[in-house]
Amino acid sequence: MAKIGVFICHCGENIAAKVDCTKLAAALGEHPGVAVSVEYKYFCSDPGQESVKKAIRDNNLSGIVIAACSPRMHEATFRKACAEAGLNPYLCEIANIREQCSWVHTDGDMATAKAMDIVRSMVEKVKRNNKLQSIEVPVTRRALVIGGGIAGLQAALDIANAGQEVVLVEREPSLGGHMAQLSETFPTLDCSQCIMTPRMVETAQHPKIRLLTYAEVESVDGYIGNFKVKIRMKSRYVDMNTCTGCGDCMTKCPAKKISSEFDCGLGKRTAIYTPFAQSVPNIPVIDKASCIYFKNGKCKMCQKSCQLNSINFEMQDEFIDLEIGAIVVATGFQVQNTAVYGEYGYGKFPDVITGLQFERLASASGPTAGKILRPSDGKEPENVVFIQCAGSRDPSKGVRYCSKICCMYTAKHAMLYAHKVHGGKTHIFYMDIRAAGKGYDEFTRRAIEEDEASYVRGRVSKVWQENGKLMVRGVDTLLGKPVTVAADMVVLATAMVSQPNAKEFAKTIGIAYDEYGFYNEAHLKLRPVESSTAGVFLAGACQSPKDIPDSVAQASASASKVLALFSKEKLEREPVIAVNNEATCAGCWGCVLACPYNAIEKKDIRDRSGRLIKQVAYVNPGLCQGCGTCVTFCRSNSLDLAGFTEKQIFAEVMGL
Amino acid sequence: MSEPFEPKIVAFVCTYCTYAGADLAGTSRLKYAPNVRIVRLPCTGRISPMFILKALQKGADGVLISGCHPGDCHFTHGNYHARRRWMVFRALLDFTGISPERVKFSWISAAEGGKFADLINSVTEEIRNLGPFDQYQQLIKETESPATL
Amino acid sequence: MITQEKYRTTVKELLASGSVKMVIGYKPGSTPDRRRPLFIRTSEEADQLVLDSTCMTNLSGYLVTEGLLSDEKRVGIFLRPEGIRSINILAAEYQLNIEQIVILGFDSTGRDVRPLEGRNAGDFSGLLSEIKEKPVQTSKEPLLERIEKMNAQERFDFWQEEFSRCIKCYACRQACPMCYCRRCIVDSNQPQWINTSSHTLGNFEWNIVRAFHLSGRCVQCGNCDRACPVNIPLRLINQRMATEVLDGFDHFAGLSPTQEPVLASFKKDDTETFIL
Repeated sequence: MAKIGVFICHCGENIAAKVDCTKLAAALGEHPGVAVSVEYKYFCSDPGQESVKKAIRDNNLSGIVIAACSPRMHEATFRKACAEAGLNPYLCEIANIREQCSWVHTDGDMATAKAMDIVRSMVEKVKRNNKLQSIEVPVTRRALVIGGGIAGLQAALDIANAGQEVVLVEREPSLGGHMAQLSETFPTLDCSQCIMTPRMVETAQHPKIRLLTYAEVESVDGYIGNFKVKIRMKSRYVDMNTCTGCGDCMTKCPAKKISSEFDCGLGKRTAIYTPFAQSVPNIPVIDKASCIYFKNGKCKMCQKSCQLNSINFEMQDEFIDLEIGAIVVATGFQVQNTAVYGEYGYGKFPDVITGLQFERLASASGPTAGKILRPSDGKEPENVVFIQCAGSRDPSKGVRYCSKICCMYTAKHAMLYAHKVHGGKTHIFYMDIRAAGKGYDEFTRRAIEEDEASYVRGRVSKVWQENGKLMVRGVDTLLGKPVTVAADMVVLATAMVSQPNAKEFAKTIGIAYDEYGFYNEAHLKLRPVESSTAGVFLAGACQSPKDIPDSVAQASASASKVLALFSKEKLEREPVIAVNNEATCAGCWGCVLACPYNAIEKKDIRDRSGRLIKQVAYVNPGLCQGCGTCVTFCRSNSLDLAGFTEKQIFAEVMGL
Repeated sequence: MSEPFEPKIVAFVCTYCTYAGADLAGTSRLKYAPNVRIVRLPCTGRISPMFILKALQKGADGVLISGCHPGDCHFTHGNYHARRRWMVFRALLDFTGISPERVKFSWISAAEGGKFADLINSVTEEIRNLGPFDQYQQLIKETESPATL
Repeated sequence: MITQEKYRTTVKELLASGSVKMVIGYKPGSTPDRRRPLFIRTSEEADQLVLDSTCMTNLSGYLVTEGLLSDEKRVGIFLRPEGIRSINILAAEYQLNIEQIVILGFDSTGRDVRPLEGRNAGDFSGLLSEIKEKPVQTSKEPLLERIEKMNAQERFDFWQEEFSRCIKCYACRQACPMCYCRRCIVDSNQPQWINTSSHTLGNFEWNIVRAFHLSGRCVQCGNCDRACPVNIPLRLINQRMATEVLDGFDHFAGLSPTQEPVLASFKKDDTETFIL
């Protein structure tokens, strides 16, 4: 016989103001199977919880219903209280009479009537609840970090330095990401490569880090603690074991005029190449699309020049299967294509460049060896115009959000230019200067006050060429009149956008993304580094535009989440999983097809002599996530879902 | 005429999107009609056509089924499976004379508290206009013993 | 008659060569227009075989009799095109191994019976595709058309009238090759989703649930319709559902033995115009 306790919470005035709790408690007290029905001001408070526990013990209750706020708020609280009182925590149900009743209805009588139905139906459900035990799953203590930019490196190093294994996957031939492309960094103006490359080397040499460059994640299966990941090792055509990175092949390669991705098209590279001189690993790859041998079947100059015989044109992509416990996604961002701004002339006028291209010009390792020279004729520009928000905060053509870093890097560019080209003039068209951050506002002030950057508040409407100059027409909204500046070079502060394949990749890993393709955190404020999928964490600009300090901070936060996960041998999971009735299962395998997690296997049923009688479905409790899609498919009702069984839901509906 | 007819509507929703959306309507203190009773399930994939029939048998004048938008399912594709079943089941109900007007389907995300409130209001109003599901309730009466637990 | 004689010879040859252990066919029934199943194991039994236009029953359900195919020996069976589709579905749902089935296909127009070319399920894929593209019954049944033109209330009244006669004998289920479940949902009483008493309400639920379980699986062989002792036009519901899955998901039940069950699969761009 059921002995159910009903606990009706006033939630101060939140529930009691609309729902007649006294009437509710009295009515439920009369309901069959209800042994206790009481009300209280705050059941979630300590004395409230104590009274629940006492009622459970005193009345030897077989289940409880807490009529209060949403189960999303306090289900865990009351389950814990149950356990403390010696009642299986899954014999507790929450009747949501706040969010879905008292807060949303105006008529007290109607709200009370609705609350009555809600509580009654939960009482009927809980009568049929089963005692469940949480499921323990083992944790594979090996992390996968996807992306070898600064965020990925930081996360990998933090995890590895704590003694756990890391596999770091980078899609490009070298680690480094965008940070390796930068010249100096704000607000300290220290050289980006000088702080980046040592981290790259440290990562590559770390005994706990397995580095897979020129590799991509093909598929991710499994779940927290137990992911199965397939990695595609793209064929480099260079044997990583024998190559020493001497570079002879690159010198000999006759295909020398390929636009360098690393230099944003401002420099050239060969068909066999490393992206940049300090590449880690310093082992080249052959760009199949540009290689003369792959195109014409003749050349092999690199192979002839290689004394170690490391070039192998027959190399094929290889696949590696990994067992992984946690994943850090640090796949970064890309710079928005500014082709949408035809009026700024990007792509039409060679001296209109993006901020990232300017970084390459200013970089000591860049195509101009750090001299600011314009791409068209290699002359030093005397007058440079910077256009901020070329894409950001522009819902009509670009993106709605603020890219966060452009105010800072534009100020930095103006300073670098001023330091390198004495007497040069800068004009910066801006909407607002957003320089919130440690030392950031001081930095932009310095650009204005010490390096004489001339800030013009307003938008640019047009850029055109006239007498060898780039004419920039804009408006100075503070003076309220149009301005035209004759410039030698124009730099666009382009928006940071998600990677072009960000959405598809999110689907590969099984995480959520927003309308822009940035990955969603589980909670914007309280769980900012966890993705919506358990065991997958986010770091860096794949989540939203970030500067280096923010990316590093988030990467370290992700690493600490991974380490917390790895601190246990086993994970506890909610036992909401499907179970099969093997006696009635007909083995049609519709459930196998319907299951999103490949959690259903075929199990042989044999008689005593070992003869196969039939095959039935078996739900792997480690893999099942408890969606119940298989249960609904099952025509014979052989499958059922613990916690949401057919009996429970039937009773819940009938209790309404 | 006496009091206006207050329809009884049962909603089956997934916990990750629509239930959370309903909670959001609550935390935002939006007001909507008190005619809907919600049954929470892990995923729309768990919502069996049986539930709809049982809700009608329990005397519901209308049924609402709602979950995550396509692509948003917490269980990656429970809602895609559900969508197919719904389409077939809806046609079946239609063919046997249970008007599709009485069985509604929707996608409501955890962020769409406003949509939830609006939908409850519009569905309640539509079912109110359709009137009680007398034909079905007549059948329930005939059995003389409405469903027992 | 010629077809029948030819097939008698074929059956004898198949049995004699040992390539099948049994052939399932038809023999005379209680009245001249009725046939009952015949399980042929010997040459003598083959002489009882009847094959004419009254051989309507879809025999495929007998193939899933417990233990029949577990010795991995082959069984021959007389099937109309719908029957071939049935065994394709049974194979797709892992209820039988299609390699074990030797098909003796036939079809009829008016009183004429003709054999269908082929012995293995795969041999009929062309024929089935043709039927999918060009359904044999191009003209809709007048009754189906009438129902479709009704409004919801009239339709409810129509089915209420029909289902009120149902006595829950489950002959429809027993006759249906697709109802191979070890336990039917109607027999599951924890919980009792479907009222088992033969009130119209329970009858409604039973027939709706059966039609749902047959959606995308029914081949319109008519077994249920013929089995119903109170003549409920069950075929109409199943026909309507077949149209639904064909129009909605381009799914023609039983097109191949590897076809994915339509309700256990999905496409991301499935129609959803009805979803608010």
